[in-house]
Amino acid sequence: MNLFLQQLLNGVIIGSTYAVIAIGFALVFTVLRVINFAHPDIFMVGMFGGLLCAKYVSSNFFVVAAASALSAGLVGLILERAVLRPLRGRDALMTLIATLGVGIMLENGVAALISSDVVAFPPVISRQPIDLGAVSVSKPQIVNLIVSLISLAIVSYYVRLTPYGRATRAVAERPDVAAAFGVNVSRVSQVAVTLASMLAGCAAVSVGLLYGNAWAFIGLAYGIKGFICILIAGNRYFEGVMLVALALGILEALITGYLSSTYRDAIAFLLLIAVLYVRPNGLFGSYST
Amino acid sequence: MTPLLAISDLHVAYKAVPALSGVSIELFEGEILVILGANGAGKTTIVKSILGLTNIQRGSVSLSTDDASHDLRKLQTHQIHRLGVTWVPEGRQLWGAMTVLDNLKMGGFASDPTETRQRIEEMLDWFPRLRERQDQLAGSLSGGEQQMVALARALIARPKLILMDELSLGLAPLVVAEVFQLVKKVNSLGVSVLLVEQNARQALRIATRAYLLEVGHVVESGPAAELANKQSVQDIFLGGHS
Repeated sequence: MNLFLQQLLNGVIIGSTYAVIAIGFALVFTVLRVINFAHPDIFMVGMFGGLLCAKYVSSNFFVVAAASALSAGLVGLILERAVLRPLRGRDALMTLIATLGVGIMLENGVAALISSDVVAFPPVISRQPIDLGAVSVSKPQIVNLIVSLISLAIVSYYVRLTPYGRATRAVAERPDVAAAFGVNVSRVSQVAVTLASMLAGCAAVSVGLLYGNAWAFIGLAYGIKGFICILIAGNRYFEGVMLVALALGILEALITGYLSSTYRDAIAFLLLIAVLYVRPNGLFGSYST
Repeated sequence: MTPLLAISDLHVAYKAVPALSGVSIELFEGEILVILGANGAGKTTIVKSILGLTNIQRGSVSLSTDDASHDLRKLQTHQIHRLGVTWVPEGRQLWGAMTVLDNLKMGGFASDPTETRQRIEEMLDWFPRLRERQDQLAGSLSGGEQQMVALARALIARPKLILMDELSLGLAPLVVAEVFQLVKKVNSLGVSVLLVEQNARQALRIATRAYLLEVGHVVESGPAAELANKQSVQDIFLGGHS
């Protein structure tokens, strides 16, 4: 029972990180109808933005998180202006390849400027485990969970209850009609990409603190899981993406705990195949492209 | 008198296929202008050209407001809306995954929030059935109810000009009659209407003037009553008699 509870907790924590990355993919995909393959590497840039701040500026957690969010957000803003906007309306494959290229550029740029090896993340928060009886949890794990939940709440609030969030949903479903009612589609896209990037940056610093390190090529692993989550959930409801990501995290943790970590990554792909076989538009449906 | 909307020598093509070839249309403030034509005549292309949703090869589209004349070819779609132009698209094109209330809120996206709240209340008074259904997903409404939402959405921003595309499409005859009466009511409040239709009989009854479009060309134009008596219109649209 203790093992089950421990793995459940571990799964919720890792799943919440997947959810933040997946929501970033989903936000951009619903607005721009393109997969932004640079998004996982924007997550990585955020991680290194936080690392550099912790090493040279301040070890205050909130300052480090702000540095992560701002560095990731800036890269997202530049990406939207310089790559995504000029390619809007063109073949989706062009944007896919362009963002893939940007991602590779970011990975190799960070590897060249800082290091291609795993780099230690300054211990801004103590990693001592806290014993809660049946389970134990560390402060970085708690921070990871809180940061992820706050990020998801921000996205949910934005999409459901703000005029710009409503406009984002309108652009996702019928961009021409949205424009005809005064929505500046370019501005909405910019806000969506920047918000997704900033949230990825926040998630990145909490992952860096959780594992105690950063790596220029870490984006791929989280990016694939995030992408799988939106394929399984569909892009119609952000809350659906969050649920699938949490479920995936929990499943992975349980598989690791009861079977072996060897099978952990396979479960995501098996789930994806199974769901798409019976529901090609995802569990909660997708907007038609 | 300066027209509110002036389209001059408009040429639009989709790849190599011409959709409009030298179309010129004028709409004056306060009138209901109808554009008639069969499927493929280019009616919706005219509406999309006004809104900046299609590429114009040649010609001009201008809108006159109190202070100036605006070349709509130089503006983006969201900027054209802010000049006072709104749209009831063909097939309604509501945001089906959003509630009726959210659809109406989107109608006032570019307007003052307080004014929008007030206008939504006015629209819910105009359309009591929508008040009952305001929290329902717009995609789950009947065709007639969706048309009410589409019309209410277009009225939220107090437009100067509404572009209405195939209002009667897919609606029951009784509902069609109701909808056309609503168009007259909207016009009586000072809103100019450009109505694109295949239902010539109903459209010509409420219109001030009309144009007849065939394969991207204007072939007839004039006061609605005169056009209704023209043989060409009667043969194509009115069963050979008015």
